[in-house]
Amino acid sequence: MQAPSASPVLPGSPPGPAPAPRAGVAHAITHGPSFAMLRLDLAPGETVVAEAGAMVARHQAIAMEVKLNAGQSGGVFALIKALVIALIRRFVGGETFFVNHFTARTPGSIWLAPTLSGQIQHRRLAGERLVLSAGAYLAHTGAIDLKLRFGGLRGLLAKEGAFFLEISGNGELWFTSYGGIETVEVRGPFMVDNGHLVGFEGQLDFNIRSAGGGVLGFVASGEGIVCEFNGSGRVYLQSRNLGALADWVGRLLP
Amino acid sequence: MHYELLQKPDFTLIKVTFDQGGEQMLAEPSAMVAKDSGVEMKTAIQGGILAAAKRKMLGGESVFQNTFTATAPGQRLYLAPGPEGDAEVIQCDGSTPIFLSSGAFLASAPSVQLDTKWGGAKGFFSGAGLFLLKAIGTGPLFFCCYGGIHSVDIGGAGYICDTSHIVGFTGGLTYNVNRIGGMKSLFFSGEGLVCHFNGHGRLWMSTRNPGGLASFLHPFRRVQSS
Amino acid sequence: MQIDVVYRPAHSLAKVTLPPGESIVAESGAMVGMSPNVQMQTQSQGGLMGGLKRMFGGESFFRNTFTAQGGQGEVLLAHALCGDMTVLEMTELGYFVQSASFIASTPNVNIETKLGGFRSFFAGEGVFVLKATAQGPGRMLVGAFGGIEELRCDGNLVIDTGHLVAWDASLTYSVGKSGSGFIASFLSGEGLVCHFSGQGRIWIQSRNPTAYGHAVGQLLPPRSG
Repeated sequence: MQAPSASPVLPGSPPGPAPAPRAGVAHAITHGPSFAMLRLDLAPGETVVAEAGAMVARHQAIAMEVKLNAGQSGGVFALIKALVIALIRRFVGGETFFVNHFTARTPGSIWLAPTLSGQIQHRRLAGERLVLSAGAYLAHTGAIDLKLRFGGLRGLLAKEGAFFLEISGNGELWFTSYGGIETVEVRGPFMVDNGHLVGFEGQLDFNIRSAGGGVLGFVASGEGIVCEFNGSGRVYLQSRNLGALADWVGRLLP
Repeated sequence: MHYELLQKPDFTLIKVTFDQGGEQMLAEPSAMVAKDSGVEMKTAIQGGILAAAKRKMLGGESVFQNTFTATAPGQRLYLAPGPEGDAEVIQCDGSTPIFLSSGAFLASAPSVQLDTKWGGAKGFFSGAGLFLLKAIGTGPLFFCCYGGIHSVDIGGAGYICDTSHIVGFTGGLTYNVNRIGGMKSLFFSGEGLVCHFNGHGRLWMSTRNPGGLASFLHPFRRVQSS
Repeated sequence: MQIDVVYRPAHSLAKVTLPPGESIVAESGAMVGMSPNVQMQTQSQGGLMGGLKRMFGGESFFRNTFTAQGGQGEVLLAHALCGDMTVLEMTELGYFVQSASFIASTPNVNIETKLGGFRSFFAGEGVFVLKATAQGPGRMLVGAFGGIEELRCDGNLVIDTGHLVAWDASLTYSVGKSGSGFIASFLSGEGLVCHFSGQGRIWIQSRNPTAYGHAVGQLLPPRSG
């Protein structure tokens, strides 16, 4: 049983459980591993960027601003590209990629949670590159750049996972999984069902393709789209897949 | 082959490591999470078309099945259930059959057969399309459910279980399906049908009801435009 | 009566041990299993019409009473979605509870379903607010979608309504949109929020059922009506 933290941060009072003195933003992840929720305690002026829809609760002192996330390198073209991609996703299905910027005017807390059950992982980035499935992104602080990349037409055929986020820079990142996160060391060709992919280290080669098994395999195997990795590095898997849940429930529905 | 059940009990993930080339594992479609590329995957209609059709109508399982074959020692295969919840493994001993509800079968060694000739019990029915499959053979059988797995060892007193919470049970048990309460209860109690177990054996129940999830999700479905 | 919650937090199951003659009243559909000496009786609020209303997602609410006969009895209870459960001790003012979170209570807990002024609370289907009060000691079992966190409101707190499980009736609250302006609300993805003020406890769930419903629902085969 997980012991949740009891009290929120109130203006003027110390946060609890007390986080250690840190370079980044004070945070706590509670209710892991299955229903993880992230609490951030912001000092005045601190900002956290979070996926649209992730807010659970906040103090009134925290102001919210919606932005189309175009990453650090803004500019008009990046903005238009982000808008077009968001519209494509609206039609194709899956999450649109808007973010909210939450800034504290006075000290306050904000609680964030993803849509699906699972874990939240924290990672401090110091220049390396991480690629995440777009649905896995939850929040970040600091000078982190998010580039939305299209997975190719094959990726579109998957029920989700058509888009990837290339993340780099310096700061703190929180990402989520549907189910538990399993880290796999890849040392050679490795195939992952697209719906089970959370992310991977930027140095791996990857290629999106159909699972094989011939034409029958593509249609009937249910595996559909896979991501094939090559090289050396870490791949993060999630132990549940939204498409598989939908198939399973679909058989029970009228 | 050897296997590990990871991420228990909430979102259990099965990791199979093949010891030699040629070893095989059968699994439901969409159960595959990841594998070393050397593991071959073949999709087939399990047991022939007629048997498969029976399974689909009665069992709610998919008509297709995937067979994974290792080509070298040490290759890995990761499998996961569709629903959120736990998964368990049973070593079938060749003599005691295991009965599984529809949607509970996840994977097995090819030496465990799902008996499609068995017609099931008359009247064993619940709104969510529950039906029973019989598994018999030797080797590991992996099953799953929506929610956690709660097992009850049944002895003299018997036990009553809501039918939509049944995951599986061992062959030594007898069962009886009843309405609970009177007619008013059937419509309004929300409890549906219950199963009265007797005899000796083990019953696996899910702590969540797949019908409950289906009812919850039904209003969120897109409406068909005619 | 003893209530033990096992398999926390995701697949929590409440094991209720009833001394002979004692009862627990549970939401319809909550029973998973029970020992053969437990009797079940349905009490409907609203009669036949009420029952029909419930089937169409209206605000009717059925509960079943489980009583142990001739010896100790066991009843296993669970709610529909995966998540944690907690037992709340009844207080003088009582609680407001989100309808899908209510699982069971001791027979002396009074549940009111027709509460005015709560229409705007939830965007989800068939979800409404209940008020639970009791004369004297009693207990209530609530379940969540996700983990349950108890927050203490000492002034103000803004909470997404989809994440509300229950709160002390001592709090004042008002429902509104999260962002300022229509576009911000639409794009932000945030639904309705509840602004709480005053002193009291609020139990939240770490997942939002409506968001989950939409995420899965759009992948399901379309329905005919």
